[in-house]
Amino acid sequence: MEYQLDFAFLSGSAPDLLEGLWVTVRLAIAANAMGLTLGFALCLMAMSHWALVRWPAQMFIEFFRCTPALLQIIWFFYCLPFLFEVYIDPIPMGILALGLNLTAFNAEAYRAGVQAVPRDHLDASIALGLRPWQRTIYVVLPQALRSAMPVLMTNGISILQQSALVAIVAVGDLMYVGKDIATQNYRPLETYTLVALIYFLLSLPIARLAHVIERRQDAVVER
Amino acid sequence: MNNAVLNSRVASDPVSYDDSDSPQLIKLRGVVKSYNDGALTVMDHLDLDMHAHERLVIIGPSGSGKSSLLRVMMGLEGIQEGTIDFLGTQYITGTRNKPQKLDPRLQRQIGMVFQHYTLFPHLSVLGNLMLAPTKVHGWTKAQATERATQLLARLGLESKLHAYPSQLSGGQKQRVAIARALMLEPKLMLFDEVTSALDPEMVVEVQNVMLKLAEQKMAMIIVTHDMHFARHIATRVVFCANGKIVEQGPPEQIFTNPKEARTREFLEKVVIFD
Repeated sequence: MEYQLDFAFLSGSAPDLLEGLWVTVRLAIAANAMGLTLGFALCLMAMSHWALVRWPAQMFIEFFRCTPALLQIIWFFYCLPFLFEVYIDPIPMGILALGLNLTAFNAEAYRAGVQAVPRDHLDASIALGLRPWQRTIYVVLPQALRSAMPVLMTNGISILQQSALVAIVAVGDLMYVGKDIATQNYRPLETYTLVALIYFLLSLPIARLAHVIERRQDAVVER
Repeated sequence: MNNAVLNSRVASDPVSYDDSDSPQLIKLRGVVKSYNDGALTVMDHLDLDMHAHERLVIIGPSGSGKSSLLRVMMGLEGIQEGTIDFLGTQYITGTRNKPQKLDPRLQRQIGMVFQHYTLFPHLSVLGNLMLAPTKVHGWTKAQATERATQLLARLGLESKLHAYPSQLSGGQKQRVAIARALMLEPKLMLFDEVTSALDPEMVVEVQNVMLKLAEQKMAMIIVTHDMHFARHIATRVVFCANGKIVEQGPPEQIFTNPKEARTREFLEKVVIFD
């Protein structure tokens, strides 16, 4: 192979890369904040006794689970402004698209966690006089959160990866900046390798942490 | 002993034990409860009276709905027909099988302990004891902590105040569950096979706590398969089968000289007579 690897030129692009990285981190954190909170609310709706509440929630979940994330993002960027005449800045729009996608996946993770709460615990909380919303907040949510945590973290990492898709609609994230640098310098190999490495290093600690939490949970399985 | 006591189906004027000085706690009249659209009747026009100092032990074959009365009293399940009074007030009426919203002022006077461990695993022992008093009944943390500490000390668990349920043995978990149910100073305690899931060596520590409560004149309804313990703790034993009270009376009478053939038959299977 005659190709000479040259990573040196990338040092000049460091400020751009950092800026892109910062956008990516913001996208990931904000989408996760949305996914963790709205995901639980959506999970409760999807498990509601009332069909009128349950159905829309289930439709929402299935829509996001059964269409490509790339398509969802493109749809949000092109069709939402067209249909509703709302114009949102690219980054908030990216957060919205990614966050709603994560909300749907997290709702499913929470549901498994809620279903894992023993029936006897609900009986006990009724016996203690807790009202329905108090049961949800003080008994169900903490236990569901705990058992869903590894999946929630895995979903959180995967939305970090998926956030690269917003580059396609010109949000200046890490992927977008990388693509820019690669084409300007005719050095896609070095650039994309470095960008991949950054995504990898960002995700790896979280993935390891999720693994540790899962192992610890297995160790203290009780009941 | 009045013979009418022994047959609760003499319902027009059920006779209680002559302890009229202690107030009536529970009055069941014509209570009907069944599962699967009437396929399984666990309470068949049941009448039952209980006074404040009594300790009822309910015995009977599995599937005879022994736990149902406890679950109904606690608001976990509903009844189809009949009425239940608690502390002289109408508490539950039979309408549908779904649990109805019970008067919280009455419901809080009842504490219940379950067969399976029901301590919330994400809360410490203290957290478990404080949850209902602080979140539902507006106690301050200091009040709840003080009461919890006293209770745990009485049950020999003061060192476990900050432990988590996963760090406790089965017997300790059930004792904490009893303490949790006692936090609001209930007038009636319900025990639903609380030692059934325990290893034998832990059964006694839980039973001792219950005996201690008995000494303090706590009214209790106990469902158990442990006939030895039943005999020891009960002031009255109620033998149920097929949703009906077959026979009831003081433990000595039920265990040594049961009147009904059905009772004898059951006891011969589960107790070794001496």
